[in-house]
Amino acid sequence: MANQSGSVYGLTILSPICYDKTAETSHNCAIRMKLAAMPRDEFSPFAKVSSTHLARLVVMDDVVYVGAPSCEEHLKSQYLIFETNFDGDLDTYLSRMAREIPEEVDAVWQHCWGYPGVKNVDAFIAYMKKCQVTTTFFFADVNNKTVQQTLIALQTQAAVAEFVEHAQGLSPSELQKSFASFLVKLRGAPPPVPGRPGAGGPPRIETKMKWASKNLAASMAGGAQ
Amino acid sequence: MQGGYVCLAFVSLRTDNGGSSGRGTEQAVTNINHKTYAMNAITPMKWWKTWIVRVFFVILGTIKPLQKDLVQLSFIHFARWVIIKRRSFPHVVPGQPKEELKYDYLLFFSNFNGTWNQYIDAFSAVLSRGLNAIWRWSEKFPGSVPVTPFKQYIAHCQFDTDYYYTAYPYATTNDVKAAHRVQAALEVLEKDSAGQSAEDFARSYLKFVLTVQSDLGETGKAPVGT
Repeated sequence: MANQSGSVYGLTILSPICYDKTAETSHNCAIRMKLAAMPRDEFSPFAKVSSTHLARLVVMDDVVYVGAPSCEEHLKSQYLIFETNFDGDLDTYLSRMAREIPEEVDAVWQHCWGYPGVKNVDAFIAYMKKCQVTTTFFFADVNNKTVQQTLIALQTQAAVAEFVEHAQGLSPSELQKSFASFLVKLRGAPPPVPGRPGAGGPPRIETKMKWASKNLAASMAGGAQ
Repeated sequence: MQGGYVCLAFVSLRTDNGGSSGRGTEQAVTNINHKTYAMNAITPMKWWKTWIVRVFFVILGTIKPLQKDLVQLSFIHFARWVIIKRRSFPHVVPGQPKEELKYDYLLFFSNFNGTWNQYIDAFSAVLSRGLNAIWRWSEKFPGSVPVTPFKQYIAHCQFDTDYYYTAYPYATTNDVKAAHRVQAALEVLEKDSAGQSAEDFARSYLKFVLTVQSDLGETGKAPVGT
C-alpha cells in the first residue's frame, strides 16, 4: 500500500483554504499566525497524539512556474498541507486528533473549505479522507519501530553509555551486581516524553583522563604557573 | 526608571516570541526542528508523462535493492513523493472554486538531517540516476548533475514549512538506528547472562560492549549550521 511503509503510515492531506476578501485577516494568514504560535516540543499538540513520529503543516500559496516554454498557471485556492508519519491505522490516528487535540485542530482547520469541526468525529474523519491524496512512493528508513520503542531505545542508548563509562575497572562480581542494579533502574525509569529535546541524550560524561580537553587546559595552566 | 521600562519591554518581546507562554517556541526557523529539516517541493509535469513516474516508483518499491543507495545515505527519516493529477486537487464543497490546470504536479516531502546544501549535494553525488528517473519528467528539470543548476531548480520549486514537529528532536536517523541496535544487544545480554557466574558474565559483557561501542555516540543539540 503506497501510504504505508512497514508499520508507519504516511498521510498527506491537502485542505483547500477559504478565501474571503472582506476578512480583516485572510484565512491563510490566520493559519500561519496560529502555526507560528504553536509549541513544537513536548507541548506540541502532536506530542499528545503520541503515535506521531514527524509531522508538518504547510500553507501552499500556489504552484510554481518554472519558466518558458512551460505555461504559467495558478491555483484558485491556497492549500493547507498536513504531512505526517505515524504508527497504526488512519482512522485511529484521525480519531485521536479529534478527541485529544480538538482545540488546535479547530483553530487551524476552521479556515478551510468544508471543515465540519471535531465534535462529530466520523464527519471529521470523512472530511480528512476527502482531502487526502495518495502517496505515490513512501520511504521510511526505520519503518518497524513505534515512537515509544524509538524513544525507549534512545533512553537506553544514553543509559548504557553512562553505565559503560562508570563500570570501567570493576571486578567481575562488582560488574555483575552493578549491571543488575542498572537494569532495575533502567526498567523503572519514567517513560520518555515525545517531542522533548534532550530526553535521548546522555549526560556529559565526566572523566579524569588526561587527554580530556578541560583536564588538559587545567594541567597546562598549572604548568605555566 | 527609564532603564527599567526598556528592560521590561525587552522581556515582553522575548516572551512574546511565538506566544504560548514562551514554552517550546524559542526557535523561529520553521523548516528545521533541531536536527531535522522539513523540505517541500512542487514541480509541474505534463499529464501524459505522469504514468512513467508511477511505473518507476512501482519498480523502486518492488525491487528493494534499488533503494540501497537511499538507505545507505542514512540521513532521511521519511520521504515521500505524491503525484496530484490536474483534476484531483481536493474539492470538498460546491462553493469552493474548482482548479483548472494544465499540468499534473509532483510534490516531494523530505525529513532529513544536515543542511540543505549537504542534502542536495549528497543527492546529486550519490543518487543522480534515481533523481533523474523521477524528475526528468518535470518541466525544465536540468538534471541532477552538475549540481549548481540542480540546486537552483530545487530552490525555485521549494516552499517553506510553517510548522514542524518531531518526536525525537535530538536524534538523527543514524542515532535512531544505533539506539535500536543497542536496545537489541542489551536484551540479548540480559537474556543470555541470566544465571551466569561473575566471570562468564564479565566475558558476555565485554562482548556486548565491543558490539555496541560504535553505537554509543551522544545525541544532543544540533551543531551550528544545521
